[in-house]
Amino acid sequence: MSLMKFLFAVYPYICLTVFVVASWIRFDYQQYTWKTDSSMLLSKKSMVVASNLFHIGILSIFGGHFAGLVLPHGLWLGLGISDMTHQWIAIIAGIVFGLMCLVGGAMLWSRRMFNPRIRATGRKNDMFVISWLMITLLLGLMTVPFSIGHANHNDPSVMLLLAEWVKSILLLNPQPELLATVDPIFRAHIFFGMTVFLIFPFTRLVHILTAPLSYLGRAYQIVRTKRRTV
Amino acid sequence: MSHFLDRLKFLERIKETFSNGHGIVTDEDRNWEDAYRNRWRHDKVVRSTHGVNCTGGCSWRIFVKNGLVSFEMQQTDYPRTREDLPNHEPRGCQRGASFSWYLYSPHRIKHPMIRGRLLELYRAERQSGKDPVEAWAAIQKDEKKRDKYVRVRGLGGFVRTSWNEVSEIVAAANVYTIKKWGPDRIYGFSPIPAMSMISYAAGSRYLSLIGAACGSFYDWYCDLPAASPQTWGEQTDVPEAADWYNSTYLIITGANLPMTRTPDAHFATEVRYKGTKIVSMAPDYAEYVKFADLWMPVKQGTDSAAFLAMGHVALKEFYINKQDPYFQEYARKYTDLPMQVILRAHEDGFVSDRNLRASDFDGGLGEANNPEWKTIVFDSKGKRFIAPNGSIGFRWGEEGKWNLLEKTGADQAETEAELTCIDNRDAVVSVGFPHFTPGEDELLYRNVPVRQLTLASGETVYVASVFDLQVAQYGIDRGLGGGNVASSYDDADVAYTPAWAAKYTGVKAADMERTGREFADNASRTKGKSMVIMGAAINHWYHNDLSYRAIMNLLHMCGCVGQTGGGWAHYVGQEKLRPQAGWAPIAFALDWQRPPRHMNSTSYWYFHTDQWRYETIDADALMSPAGKNRNKGLTLADYNVKATRMGWLPSMPHFNRNPVELVAEAEKAGATDEAGVSKYVVDQLKSGKLDMAFADPDAEENWPRNLIVWRANLIGSSAKGHEYFLKHLLGAQNGVMSEGGAGNGCKEVKWHEEGPTGKLDLMVDINFRLNSTGAYSDIILPTATWYEKNDLNTTDMHPFIHPLGEAVTPGWESKSDWQIFKRLSKEFSKLAAKHLPDAKDLVALPMQHDSAMELAQPLGEARDWKLGECEPIPGKTMPILKVVERDYVSTYNKYIALGPLMVELGNNVKGIDWNTEAEYEELKKCNYTVTEEGVSKGMPSLEEDIYVCDAIMRMAPETNGEVAHKSWSALSKKTGIDHHHLYAGRHEDKITFRDIVAQPRKIITAPTWSGIESETVSYTAGYTNVHEHIPFRTLTGRAHFYQDHEWFLDFGEGFCTFKPPVDLKAHDNVPASVRAKPHLTLSWITPHSKWGIHSSYQDNLRMLNLFRGGPYIWLSEEEAATVGIRDNDWVEAINSNGATVARAVVSQRVPRGMALMYHAQEKNINVPGSNTTGKRGGILNSVTRVVVKPTNMVGGYAQLSYSFNYYGTVGCQRDEMVVLHKIEDQDIDWLERPLTDEREAQRNPEGIGSK
Repeated sequence: MSLMKFLFAVYPYICLTVFVVASWIRFDYQQYTWKTDSSMLLSKKSMVVASNLFHIGILSIFGGHFAGLVLPHGLWLGLGISDMTHQWIAIIAGIVFGLMCLVGGAMLWSRRMFNPRIRATGRKNDMFVISWLMITLLLGLMTVPFSIGHANHNDPSVMLLLAEWVKSILLLNPQPELLATVDPIFRAHIFFGMTVFLIFPFTRLVHILTAPLSYLGRAYQIVRTKRRTV
Repeated sequence: MSHFLDRLKFLERIKETFSNGHGIVTDEDRNWEDAYRNRWRHDKVVRSTHGVNCTGGCSWRIFVKNGLVSFEMQQTDYPRTREDLPNHEPRGCQRGASFSWYLYSPHRIKHPMIRGRLLELYRAERQSGKDPVEAWAAIQKDEKKRDKYVRVRGLGGFVRTSWNEVSEIVAAANVYTIKKWGPDRIYGFSPIPAMSMISYAAGSRYLSLIGAACGSFYDWYCDLPAASPQTWGEQTDVPEAADWYNSTYLIITGANLPMTRTPDAHFATEVRYKGTKIVSMAPDYAEYVKFADLWMPVKQGTDSAAFLAMGHVALKEFYINKQDPYFQEYARKYTDLPMQVILRAHEDGFVSDRNLRASDFDGGLGEANNPEWKTIVFDSKGKRFIAPNGSIGFRWGEEGKWNLLEKTGADQAETEAELTCIDNRDAVVSVGFPHFTPGEDELLYRNVPVRQLTLASGETVYVASVFDLQVAQYGIDRGLGGGNVASSYDDADVAYTPAWAAKYTGVKAADMERTGREFADNASRTKGKSMVIMGAAINHWYHNDLSYRAIMNLLHMCGCVGQTGGGWAHYVGQEKLRPQAGWAPIAFALDWQRPPRHMNSTSYWYFHTDQWRYETIDADALMSPAGKNRNKGLTLADYNVKATRMGWLPSMPHFNRNPVELVAEAEKAGATDEAGVSKYVVDQLKSGKLDMAFADPDAEENWPRNLIVWRANLIGSSAKGHEYFLKHLLGAQNGVMSEGGAGNGCKEVKWHEEGPTGKLDLMVDINFRLNSTGAYSDIILPTATWYEKNDLNTTDMHPFIHPLGEAVTPGWESKSDWQIFKRLSKEFSKLAAKHLPDAKDLVALPMQHDSAMELAQPLGEARDWKLGECEPIPGKTMPILKVVERDYVSTYNKYIALGPLMVELGNNVKGIDWNTEAEYEELKKCNYTVTEEGVSKGMPSLEEDIYVCDAIMRMAPETNGEVAHKSWSALSKKTGIDHHHLYAGRHEDKITFRDIVAQPRKIITAPTWSGIESETVSYTAGYTNVHEHIPFRTLTGRAHFYQDHEWFLDFGEGFCTFKPPVDLKAHDNVPASVRAKPHLTLSWITPHSKWGIHSSYQDNLRMLNLFRGGPYIWLSEEEAATVGIRDNDWVEAINSNGATVARAVVSQRVPRGMALMYHAQEKNINVPGSNTTGKRGGILNSVTRVVVKPTNMVGGYAQLSYSFNYYGTVGCQRDEMVVLHKIEDQDIDWLERPLTDEREAQRNPEGIGSK
């Protein structure tokens, strides 16, 4: 099996499987580990700026990737958004939110690295996950000049290839060869991005899955019945 | 079900809604709730308490889950008090509630530990084929080997070892020491038995069996109020906390109730609802000040002046201006005020001398028995001098007249003692009263009405009543002319008017005047329900006994002592070992051999840590010009040597020779019995071949060699002069900032140019947490915590007895103290078989209080046989000498059984004896009998902790009604009064260990104590003296205003007088580098902490979280600002004793002129190095040095007779001053460097030698 085939036809399924199964197991068996592990109690300095920049940035980037790569291509065309418009939106939004995320993430990273209280109480795992996200982000930002280059030549083909590849994965018909011709930096970014899913269940990232959004609309009073057990 | 799958059903989560959709009903998973339920769910609950020296005595529920202690909570099942009184519950404070943390904390000692270097040496010797004792000897005899481990004490380096190996080493060291130096070179230190009696008894039983000495603690802690034995012949007896509620006027001084009496403080708040007035006296805005209606901010160390001023007012208004009938009767019957005192000519006038005695009269006033010990009053009915019942002469050698009934001793006629002869006087003479206020006259002459009398000796003398002298001494004008008396309170020139006192105390004269008047007026209206609650803040001074006597004077004038709701309430380190009479035989192995070795720790440490070598106090400067002063020129150390020689204070070691060898020598020289040995030793002493050990404490044959510390933090919290302990006793890194030399010039103590260092061969710490004491020990043994053993606990704050319970088995390799010492005794017996076959040991015992020996030295004359003033007669003019057969091989067999002397000699307490045969037989059934072969086969077993508990309770009158009956019968015989009604309702009661596990039990009234357990009055001290007419155990049988012993008169303390704090000069000796910086010179005040009890809990994470998490010193906000100190800055306090570094807390609470460092913040929690000493930045006692007081050494004289923890020198440390300066953050050095040879060799601060 070629490396290409492994990385872009097999590895994605490993990552997704581990993501789903390990998260499930952790959620069922280690409820008390399912948390954000916030360290704000220990040091609040600059956290409002850093945390908000990072979170708004990264959530927006995630949304962008989802919209561009997962939602069907035809949807956008149907909405009257041409491929080139699509690409420019992606580039601009990517720069804005990517930089926000970069600034916030760098602050969080250096806090975790150099603040003595945070360093002393943190785990290696925490340092690893922020570092990995930052590398992935930097790789993503490094793809921007290439995308601008393609866009300047009115060439959306790379973007479409990437979306096509994602579609092939999701439809269980992996086509690694679609990535053979794209710039290597994209492949690197994809690899790091997939790995985020792989490590996800083993890190504090799990808190994403249970963001308490229901609080926004919950009833004032909740009565929990005694469950009848058999 | 799966949490995850549940989540997938979120669309059908809502089963129904209500309130227009504001509420929903779901049937979602509720398993998460179990987490909260499980937090408090438990498998069992066990009753225990905390064996900590707070005298809280709080019963707790200990919750055990999965075999671990998970949390604790206050017990609330104490028996109720009576209807008109709040209950004692809930008991327990934040500190106790945090205890369970310790069990599984990083501080926990889990295995036997030993200094690695020592273990290497020992193993090497053992491998070379030596037996344990030989191996130990080989290490000790080789200076280099010994120094190898001694020099690294306090520097870590512990390794884990096994119980087998470690008990062998300890036993070997003990055996070697007994053989080589004598058993009196082994010392044990453990405080306050009442907090865990069995644990205390374990160590003291082992030590007593092998002839080692147990060190006192109450006096060493300076918690013993010497004034109490001086005044009442009683160590300390105080009201239970509930009795505060019966008071109608309270003065609180130096006892921080909410802080140190947390579980009892509610009585003080509750009583205010009844309208009781509370006056608080404290220099700082202490927590108890908030109770107060009036706060008198008295300058630290001047309390006696304030109370003398209040006494001045009370005396003048209720005795002179009018005669309050209640006060008159009380003074006549229960105080020495009517006692007659002989006046001695001095200069142009007179001074007060000794009390008049029956022996001064022709025919001894008909008193054949002890006429020299029967004091005299003037009988206003018969118009004659008589010896009334109750003086100490009636206590010994006769029966039925030792009582406080108003009767003449000779013919039992009704009498009425006359207080004053002012209307029937023969003359008015000028009497000089010693005065010690700087800038005022040293002898204040005042006119006193007197009678003239011709004594049996033919001498004609003037005599005056204590009352007439006392009125004069208070400076009250009675219209007799003469100087130094005041007719107005505003006369600031005459001591002791309120205006005069205001100059020294800083308290407004009007406040003292009003408080004195109100206090007396309240007592007059309520028959004595005025109370003074007092404590450490005024008791830790050099002249603490005077402060206390000033208070006692006021209380006695007002008839408060012995009345419920009135009297003194001394709360510091006081304890109440309620079943004392049952406990003492086991604790000191009196069931096998008597007497045990007891030592007063203050003198012990004063000499053995060489603090005497640094003595700056000139004893002559403390003397009165009116004394006979035959001892002029002696140093404080000299006085102590004299006191041991004259049989007043004990001495460990006794002599400069091994007491076991002494007996052997005597027998070789022909002695066949105790008298022969005694004669041999006296001859040796007379010839100078033998001398008291303290005459040369630095000679190696007089060093302490083995020290076992258990249930204590000797080095970390109670080493007054901490750095001297490190330097001389332990030979460790130390911060003593001066060289010895100031103490040179003794007449009785030999001076060595070089002070010895590292006197101890072995220090053993038995503990459950690693604190500063463990850090400096050679061996640390892991003991059970307070939740892992069975034991007994009592306090004087409430009348109940309750247990410590084994909630979980002792953690890791730890064992209960009883089992640890059982193991040591087994190992010791094994080694003794070869090295210590039968040995006879000579015990030198000072004259004991509450025995006929307290009549040893009549008329208060101090005669020293060495100076030829008398013959050396053991038990009379020198220590009594007793030969004790040790049978060392049977040490273990004796340890595990209640011995035969309980049947042969019976039991006793405080001079009352009874038969204990029945209890002995009962215990055989209750506890089973020993089945092991040996001397103790068939005797009641003490093998298990619970057996010991039950043996104690079976033998004590407080827990066995039948024993109460026997002891009260014995006392009734002595007093001639029937006291049986006091316990009659509980004659049949027998309290067992299982009973108190079920619920705390109220104890039974016993003659051990001076109060009663009753359903109508709360427990209060002196109750039976006043209501049952049982005499105080003093010379006169009454409460003493006057002390007529020669040494008291020499030091001007016949009457209570004001002496300001002494100048210890330590703060004069501070490096120039510190002097050059902005600094403060401050009083060093070390009160108790809110977040700890002594050093316990201070290192507990839960408590550390509540405040600064490390050591701190409180400073006045304004004063700190003047030298640039801001809150939380690092500061160093320094003087010639050493230095300590802590963070500053600047606060408006603290007045100028004092630094306030909470007692016993541990050295092992966040303590950096001191920049000045270069050593670990110390503890509160790094800047203190202990000083002894000659009047506290007096012995062989009625109430001034030694008894363990009862009388003797006290370890005061509060007169100390420090220089305090800021340390910049960047200059803080944590000393976290590896140990180098150079560092190891530099044991003293740079530039300071080993002298």
